[in-house]
Amino acid sequence: MSIIRKKNRNLAIPGLMWFLVFFLLPLSVILIFSITEKSLISGEPVRFTLDNFIQVFQKRHYLIILLRSLRISFLTTVISILFSYPVAYFLAKRTRFDRALIVMLMVPFWINYLIRTFAWKLILSDNGIINQLLMALNIIDEPLRIMYTQTSVLLGLVYAYTPMMVLPLYASLLRIDDSLIEASLDLGASKARAFFDITFRLSLTGIFAGTLLVFIPALGSFAIPAILGGTDSVMIGNMIENQFNLVGNWNAGSAFTLSLAVLSIVMVLFYSKIFGLESIYKSRGI
Amino acid sequence: MMGTGRSCGLRIYTAIFFLYIFTPLLIIFIFAFNRGEGYVFPLQGFTWNWFIEFFRDSSAQRSIGNSIVIAVSSATIATVLAAFLTIGLLKGRFKRPQLYITFLMLPVLMPSLTIGIAALVFFRTLNFPSGIPVVILAHVSISMSYVFLIMMARIESLSLSLQEAAIDLGASWSSSIKDIVFPNLMPAMAAGWLFAFMISWNEFIVTYFLIGNSSTLPIYIFSQLRFGISPKVNVISILVTLFTLLAVSVLLWARRLYRKMGKDI
Repeated sequence: MSIIRKKNRNLAIPGLMWFLVFFLLPLSVILIFSITEKSLISGEPVRFTLDNFIQVFQKRHYLIILLRSLRISFLTTVISILFSYPVAYFLAKRTRFDRALIVMLMVPFWINYLIRTFAWKLILSDNGIINQLLMALNIIDEPLRIMYTQTSVLLGLVYAYTPMMVLPLYASLLRIDDSLIEASLDLGASKARAFFDITFRLSLTGIFAGTLLVFIPALGSFAIPAILGGTDSVMIGNMIENQFNLVGNWNAGSAFTLSLAVLSIVMVLFYSKIFGLESIYKSRGI
Repeated sequence: MMGTGRSCGLRIYTAIFFLYIFTPLLIIFIFAFNRGEGYVFPLQGFTWNWFIEFFRDSSAQRSIGNSIVIAVSSATIATVLAAFLTIGLLKGRFKRPQLYITFLMLPVLMPSLTIGIAALVFFRTLNFPSGIPVVILAHVSISMSYVFLIMMARIESLSLSLQEAAIDLGASWSSSIKDIVFPNLMPAMAAGWLFAFMISWNEFIVTYFLIGNSSTLPIYIFSQLRFGISPKVNVISILVTLFTLLAVSVLLWARRLYRKMGKDI
């Protein structure tokens, strides 16, 4: 038995090496860039510094973008929880067709999100569907300016990531034993009390898992603000891209990227400490 | 227990939610067949023109070709690596497999942007030219983790004693892997390959930073969306969506087949 295990072990080596060289090593390289001045390959002597991180808080421009990104991602998460909770509850507790409906819900997830974002451009633009509809109904005379604002970015993000919230919520609600609720009602609890003390509390796992799956990609989003947003809705992702493609400041860009990576890793580790990682990947519909 | 009054409200809400999810896609579909350049109601009659225009667009076709090359090669490399990795990590002797699993989860849970930037900086530092090969490498790093997760969920049903029995009966270790372990994992590998293919096929951000002067389908769509849109994009959306749905159906079918086989074993 143990000889087999010993031999099997070697099979993991190519994959682990690949992961080390093409995933962990690149991350370490941006770590080095983020704490140094100038490029490593320029040949000049390397000087360590924390300026790349500090400037986020010193330059007003960066700070505004950072806070805006946090606010937009936070709102995206909250709205997606509110939108998807009733749906997840219905799927888990009130229908027999939940499996088929979940498969349906996965369909847009499989469709390229650039295409889904494109749809919102058609809906929200000045001569888009919403403005055409409102003008045809004589509710407004001038088209509403929704496109290229923070609202359009928020709508795009909510639309893109809400299905990711439904799945873990559904999974957590499905696990709740209905007899717990019946027992609490028998013992005199009101329906609202039974919901908040039992159902809601036991679904917190799902809410947190969904928060990881929505908040992290929303915070790191780049294409959606680039397509739907304007100058007042630039997010961290776009700022990072600018550092590399326009400004050419790799050290600052690496610092921003690393902060984003560390923040997401911390959130994931925090979550896995409390709930275990299985609950995330098992609810991803993989 | 099943309060019909409250269920009714929930049912209507869920129906509206599904409308919310699917209407935007429907709008894309409608305008792919609409005569007239603008996206304006009322519709101006049916046409195939945008399809014809798409099939004449050589840059779109080149992008699709590149996407297929990248997706097929990265999915194949990722599946092979992940299959060995899963067997090694879960059926081999590791002191703390959980630690490795947590690390392997990172590409799934980190924003793709950070992965793309890290790869960009890494390959540029090594003076590796941007382009399709680099994109394939980066896609493997991402999809290997997904395939690993898929296979990990399936390998639990595979008992080590099966392999042990084969060896007791005189098989060599390598043939026990080749003839016992791999055939059992085949359906999971097929599902993993398709999943990896879809990840790569849809991947935009990492590709955007690494592709250089070439293009893939998502890159092509993105450039179209940024600089004025034409109903050609709708046509591409339809074709990509149909292709995706086909692949997902195969994926679900493979999973069901595997479950059935799992019961028989």
